[in-house]
Amino acid sequence: MSLQTDNRKFSERTAEGIDNPFMRSAVSSAQDSLKTRRLTAATALGEWEEWRKAGQQIRQHTLKHLDYYLQELAANIERRGGHIYFARTKEEASAYIGRIVEQKSAKRIVKSKSMVTEEIELNHVLLAMGCEVTETDLGEYILQVDDWEAPSHIVAPALHKDRKQIRRVFAERLGYQGDETPENLARFAREVLRQKFLEADIGITGCNFAVANLGAINLVTNEGNGDLTAAIPKTHIAVMGMERIVPSLEEMEVLDNLLCRSAVGQKLTSYITVMGPSAPGEADGPEEFHLVVVDNGRSDILGSEFNEALQCIRCGACLNVCPVYRHIGGHSYGSIYPGPIGAVITPLLGGYDNYKELPYASSLCAACTDVCPVKIPLHEQLIRHRQKIVEQGRTGTADRLQMKAASRVLSSPSLFGKVLRLANPGSRMVSSRGRIVRGPGIVKGWINARDLPQPVRQQDSFRSWMENRKGGAGK
Amino acid sequence: MKVSIFSTCLVDLMFPNVGKAMVEVLERLGCDIDFPASQVCCGQPTYNSGYLEDSKLAMKNMMLAFEHSDYVVGPSGSCIAMFHEYPEVFQGDPQWELKAISLKNKSYELTQFIVHVLGVTDVGAHLEGVATYHRSCHMTRLLGEKETPFQLLEQVEGLRLEPLKNSDNCCGFGGTFSVKMPEISAQMVDEKCACVAETGADILISADMGCLMNIGGRLSRNGRSIRVMHIAEVLNCVPAAAQGGRSL
Amino acid sequence: MNMQQSLNSNNNQESFLDHIAAKLGRGRIHHVERPKLFLPGRKDAPATEELVGILKEQCFFIHTQVIESSPVILQQTLDDLLAANGGGAVLVSADPRFAQYGLKFADPLLWEAAAGRDENIRRAAAAGTAVVFADYALAESGTIVVESRPDQGRAFHFLAEHYIAVIERSRIVPRSTQAAADLNRRVMTGEPIGSCINLISGPSNSADIEMQLVVGVHGPLRATYVLI
Repeated sequence: MSLQTDNRKFSERTAEGIDNPFMRSAVSSAQDSLKTRRLTAATALGEWEEWRKAGQQIRQHTLKHLDYYLQELAANIERRGGHIYFARTKEEASAYIGRIVEQKSAKRIVKSKSMVTEEIELNHVLLAMGCEVTETDLGEYILQVDDWEAPSHIVAPALHKDRKQIRRVFAERLGYQGDETPENLARFAREVLRQKFLEADIGITGCNFAVANLGAINLVTNEGNGDLTAAIPKTHIAVMGMERIVPSLEEMEVLDNLLCRSAVGQKLTSYITVMGPSAPGEADGPEEFHLVVVDNGRSDILGSEFNEALQCIRCGACLNVCPVYRHIGGHSYGSIYPGPIGAVITPLLGGYDNYKELPYASSLCAACTDVCPVKIPLHEQLIRHRQKIVEQGRTGTADRLQMKAASRVLSSPSLFGKVLRLANPGSRMVSSRGRIVRGPGIVKGWINARDLPQPVRQQDSFRSWMENRKGGAGK
Repeated sequence: MKVSIFSTCLVDLMFPNVGKAMVEVLERLGCDIDFPASQVCCGQPTYNSGYLEDSKLAMKNMMLAFEHSDYVVGPSGSCIAMFHEYPEVFQGDPQWELKAISLKNKSYELTQFIVHVLGVTDVGAHLEGVATYHRSCHMTRLLGEKETPFQLLEQVEGLRLEPLKNSDNCCGFGGTFSVKMPEISAQMVDEKCACVAETGADILISADMGCLMNIGGRLSRNGRSIRVMHIAEVLNCVPAAAQGGRSL
Repeated sequence: MNMQQSLNSNNNQESFLDHIAAKLGRGRIHHVERPKLFLPGRKDAPATEELVGILKEQCFFIHTQVIESSPVILQQTLDDLLAANGGGAVLVSADPRFAQYGLKFADPLLWEAAAGRDENIRRAAAAGTAVVFADYALAESGTIVVESRPDQGRAFHFLAEHYIAVIERSRIVPRSTQAAADLNRRVMTGEPIGSCINLISGPSNSADIEMQLVVGVHGPLRATYVLI
């Protein structure tokens, strides 16, 4: 898996999404339940807006002093006997991890869910080296068993699959003979994966936040797979996006509270762990601990007009409220980062050549901005993307001409007056029974699904009515 | 009180009755109405499409059109929210920034104006029926106005309001979104229509004509006979005796 | 080739950080004051009994059984719990509180540094139940906090099917804020702190299949808190 999960055209991907009734019903029921859970948890905390502001301030402060905190983190990791590696590119990151695997002659690797390892195409590199790689998050494991299918949600990767599909995949690939109840499917995965944990040579995890003054990483999970991945194998490699850092446990605590409530509506998830290299005398935990800090395009966002996107803590709340995500599903975005935050960061990490449609996959309803626990102005960032796309001349001639013409008309009373005069007679040629039935590009998109009334005659317009009223002295 | 009407281009071009209703309601509440004729559009269609420089033309035109107004009132939470965005857009522009702030400070969406400025919640309207209300995203989230439409509708005699399921979800209009991504937009409006139908209401009300044109267009395409009304039209449903009683 | 030499290719650290500073439009900085956090929420210190009430209520939501016991009857409480769960081996640590409360189990498995990684993990996986003492308990979220030590490793908490945490009432604080502040105080003052700090709130769970909650995935299937 890389950032890009699907290289077909955006319209083809969305058409497939829209045409997938199971996925859509799974996504909308998940959204409805997650929305309620988030709201309940936020309300229970009280003064949610104040907490959001605290979260925003923490993220902004850390980003503003990112080099300082990364340096402090590095010093503390090394003081504790761990290794830290700074990777500018995804190639550097996965090559470094590959070198560790080689030197350990590691064959069996367990992983806990990490979006950034998808981004650096780590599994691809490890599999090519002949390693057995096992994703241990239940959702990720399901996708792996199903031929490494792409995740469709950043928190619940297998959201688009139903229990029947999962049972079938487990039966075909793993010889599962039980029924389709989630309990039994999960219990089966537990047995298979328990063995993988016990046999693993290396454990690879992501990192929700690195804690600078402690030289540690923080993992937030419900299943406990992250802890087993980090505790049992002799080598633990953690991979983090370079911006995912906090000064101390106090800031981490605020963000973890925001994260858990926003992501899954829990006060805290079952397992929140702060871990680093093992201390002398400890029997388990990593004998060797590596933290790989990944840039891979993030530094180009830093200090830019999209800087706020780096505040993201990957809670997925914006996906859970997005009406567009609701109907097209995660795979339509063609990126491991779907939904509103995906539409903002995917073009930044992957470029407009592949992703220039994503910023338009939003009605700008701002539901995302409203729920973001660290106050990223997501819908404004989408508009900013559109501005960039226009600036770079990527919108196409027809669009540009239409918009130029529109802006002329919409800023000139006399031109608008002409439009008012001509709109009704003009529309008569394409209308039937007071409704427009055909028209060019933009009109067609509308009338394919909806009726469009004809514009009124100029003399019936509101403007004329106002004028006449003023003239008609009696009024 | 002197009030300048901001009709919005959609009302101007397609829905004159909404503008008329707004004027009549405000006059009945004692406002002195004018209509600066040089107004056109708030610039949102081009702004949201990323054509920033082009949209500034429309914005400047609006700032000039309403330069001498005391209050600017419009029948759209979305267009008023765009006005409220002007200071951001013209930040640091020596010629326009202050004008932008001034326009922002005096612009109100209709229901906001009636409740917060005029201090009225009962406008004396009477409408028999069962209605449901669609909150527009821009009015609730960008303008931050959630309550005033309900405060006013609750006082409309004879009207029963049914809650709308998933009322937070966008109807799929989104201005140019509905024509740029028509397939996705159609799915969104379909779900909205289903939720509207589920309420059993015979009237759908909103404070934004864009949303209503979208939902109404889909309802009508599907042959549903739900009456679509802008909240100004609802508030203008007054018993004949009360009409024309324009207080000055 | 020496492992450390080849892997510590960290001569890129400085250029990496320089690059970040440049993107931020400035040179490198070497001192930053951490801004003080102004957090909302209650500023008073609720009485222990109120905290116990909050903890018990929250545990209902996180599928965790809470049993009120006391130092005197703790052994009996634990024995009853073990019997109810079908007996089996009990994973314990050398935490001095086991001795302090005079706890003894019929079939104990001890986590001890001397036994080494493989043997400790084997013991942890062979145990039906793991028993720990909480270092802090957080009322609001129903969380216990434990730190790794040579006598109580990281995998200790994750391999047994049943997880029992004994909570001394005096260790209950309102929420994670207080635990984080105290832990960070220890970091800042250089007091010893576990190489791994676990905040555990009930049994492991997952909603990855159709958003339906399954309690008990990789970690314990059941969790019980015993208040003394």
